[in-house]
Amino acid sequence: MNRLKVLQAWLWCVSLWPCWLSHAVPLDCKDETGSLTQCTSISQEKLLDRVIQHAELIYRVSEESCTLFEDMFIPYPLHALRNQGGNLCHTKPFPIPGSKSEIQQISDKWLLHSVLMLVQSWMEPLIYLQTTLSRYDDAPDALLNKTKWVSDKLLSLEQGVLVLIRKMLDEGILTSSSIFEHTLTPYNEQSPEVLESILRDYNLLICFKKDAHKMETFLKLLKCRQSNKLSCLSY
Amino acid sequence: SFYRPHFTGCRSREQETFRCWWSAGIFQNLTEPGALRVFYQTKNFLSEWQECPDYTRTVKNECYFNKTFTQIWTSYCIQLRSVRENITYDEACFTVENIVHPDPPIGLNWTLLNVSRSGLHFDVLVRWAPPPSADVQMGWMSLVYQVQYRVRNNSHWEMLDLESGTQQSIYGLHTDKEYEVRVRCKMSAFDNFGEFSDSIIVHVAQIPSKESTFPTTLVLIFGVIGVVILLVLLIFSQQQRLMVIFLPPIPAPKIKGIDPELLKNGKLDQLNSLLSSQDMYKPDFYHEDPWVEFIQLDLDDPAEKNESSDTQHLLGVSRSGSSHVLNFKSDDDSGRASCYDPEIPNPEDLASLLPGHSGRGDNHPLVSRSSSSIPDLGVQQTSEVEETPIQTQPAVPSWVNMDFYAQVSDFTPAGGVVLSPGQLNSCPEKKKEEENEKKIQFQLVSDGAYTSENTARQLSASVPPSPGPEQGYQTFPTQAVEGNLWNGEYLVSTSDSQTPYLLPEAPPAPILPPVSDYTVVQEVDAQHSLLLNPPSSQPAICPHSPNKHLPAMPTMPMGYLTPDLLGNLTP
Repeated sequence: MNRLKVLQAWLWCVSLWPCWLSHAVPLDCKDETGSLTQCTSISQEKLLDRVIQHAELIYRVSEESCTLFEDMFIPYPLHALRNQGGNLCHTKPFPIPGSKSEIQQISDKWLLHSVLMLVQSWMEPLIYLQTTLSRYDDAPDALLNKTKWVSDKLLSLEQGVLVLIRKMLDEGILTSSSIFEHTLTPYNEQSPEVLESILRDYNLLICFKKDAHKMETFLKLLKCRQSNKLSCLSY
Repeated sequence: SFYRPHFTGCRSREQETFRCWWSAGIFQNLTEPGALRVFYQTKNFLSEWQECPDYTRTVKNECYFNKTFTQIWTSYCIQLRSVRENITYDEACFTVENIVHPDPPIGLNWTLLNVSRSGLHFDVLVRWAPPPSADVQMGWMSLVYQVQYRVRNNSHWEMLDLESGTQQSIYGLHTDKEYEVRVRCKMSAFDNFGEFSDSIIVHVAQIPSKESTFPTTLVLIFGVIGVVILLVLLIFSQQQRLMVIFLPPIPAPKIKGIDPELLKNGKLDQLNSLLSSQDMYKPDFYHEDPWVEFIQLDLDDPAEKNESSDTQHLLGVSRSGSSHVLNFKSDDDSGRASCYDPEIPNPEDLASLLPGHSGRGDNHPLVSRSSSSIPDLGVQQTSEVEETPIQTQPAVPSWVNMDFYAQVSDFTPAGGVVLSPGQLNSCPEKKKEEENEKKIQFQLVSDGAYTSENTARQLSASVPPSPGPEQGYQTFPTQAVEGNLWNGEYLVSTSDSQTPYLLPEAPPAPILPPVSDYTVVQEVDAQHSLLLNPPSSQPAICPHSPNKHLPAMPTMPMGYLTPDLLGNLTP
């Protein structure tokens, strides 16, 4: 009996380990001087606003990058590829609905998790995109800068979403992007042909733009629900 | 090509539904409904072609996709097929968000912000509401708006920047003008604008506030006029002073002590006196012509001091009393400065200097100064040129021709210069009371104040042919008269000799054959060189003109001997 009790207690402790982790390890905050300080608290509403601003900016910059790349490297007849919406975008672990009605039926939890998943799925491809764009001869500096900027902002967005998840859903999630490792394989192959590699990069930019739009849409829907649940539901 | 059946476009208004339209082209047999059918395919999940979910009944050739069939972030491909013929006439692929053209905003209105002070301009704030079909609240669509305005009936629209809010200010509108304002929107990060909203009219009537502006302009005008009048008065009253300030007089050229009027009128004699009194004229002369320094005139004689200088004697200037160009300095400088006559003397003036002109026979150009010890040829002592011993025929008509100069015959121990009497036209007939043993004839080639070479020769060539010569005079020519070129060295060498330097026989004639002993100096040029006139055919070139002992003279261009050439003429 004593052993059983001790084992149970031990199991309890172990199962509660993630909770302890999430509570025990506060988020590091850096103030202006760069030293680690205790994070100042922020309301959930404000945090959501900031997260949405991030997502909006990322979306706008992704669209500008796409246009820059298209103007520079894509011959005009192939501009129609843009409308095809990135058929070759890497598939997600779980499908994301496309219609408004379906999206409206998604729960908050799934909205946040979808956003998080989207953000995490693009971290490595963006790094890959930076290196490949830097190899172009005529890549404009604006394009390179924007790509870098997006890559940095994506990290902040991930952090914000994590905090939101914790606050809104009361969940502690250990971040892990291991499930997305396989998504890079299509991009790691170096194609010897120039046009093919250009088109592949172009497709990458289009896909990213689409996913950024998704992030923004989900977050805005979430906000709508937070403020006024009734008007945001499907009619 | 547009002759075949083709899609004319697909549009979505709110990103929730969309429609596609097609045209049969010129294929008339396909215009009936049902002949052409639309198939679509979504690339995401389904790969089979499905037919259009809803052909709109009210509108021809339209396929409508409702909410259930509309998915964003997925690409659609649609095909226009004629099933009967099994031909696909057209195909198009797109994503729904790329074909969204939002509806126009609603509720456009304006409010006046302010009116400018002048009442000519005003600002308005324009407001609107997003289209109701667009679900902006949920964040399903993020819209940006563009406001345009123009003066009514104008053809050009002014465009403002994209605005993400639902209001915009317009600044700088003119009162009394009617403006049209309209707005449209599009999805942010997409390119397709929707339709424009209905225009509204903005108009603000001009407030007639002319009274406020009127006095201001009047005051301004009167102020300006007043200032202008003041300025004019000021200028007129202070005209002189202003002229001096603004137009300073240009200083006229001035030489100290000289009246510019003098220069203009050309009174050369006064000018000459002034100039010669200038210090600046002195030093040059001394340095350029070293031989000038060797002219030493006897200054001991007190009587002489009272007299004018030698040159004046030579030229008989003082006698004539006429104002001459050649104005000489006083004695104290041994007549050096007087050698230099900066002015080119007027020939007439020169002529007037000739003794003959003055009417005095005594103005003999041959001025000899001698010490008392040396009997000279009778050329007067010191002063009295009247006593010009040289008898020249008093009334010498052609004075100009000659005898402007005296030949220096000897030097006194004291340093005086003994001049031999000059000749007249012909061989000198000197009435020599003093047979002058010393018949040193110096050929003086100098400037105008001294004897010229020709005249010197003439002097020396006192040939007996002249009628009525005295005995003593006769002896002259026999006595070897040698004309020595007078230069500094020579003078030094012979200054010691007391006796005349006589050569019994005539030395071989010098190289210059018919050169007369004296040459009339024509003029002095700027470099203080003498311009001598060529020897006229003078009978005075006496046969045995004792040119023999004349030192060899280099061939000169006739009539021109520069002072530096003199240095070459050494015995």
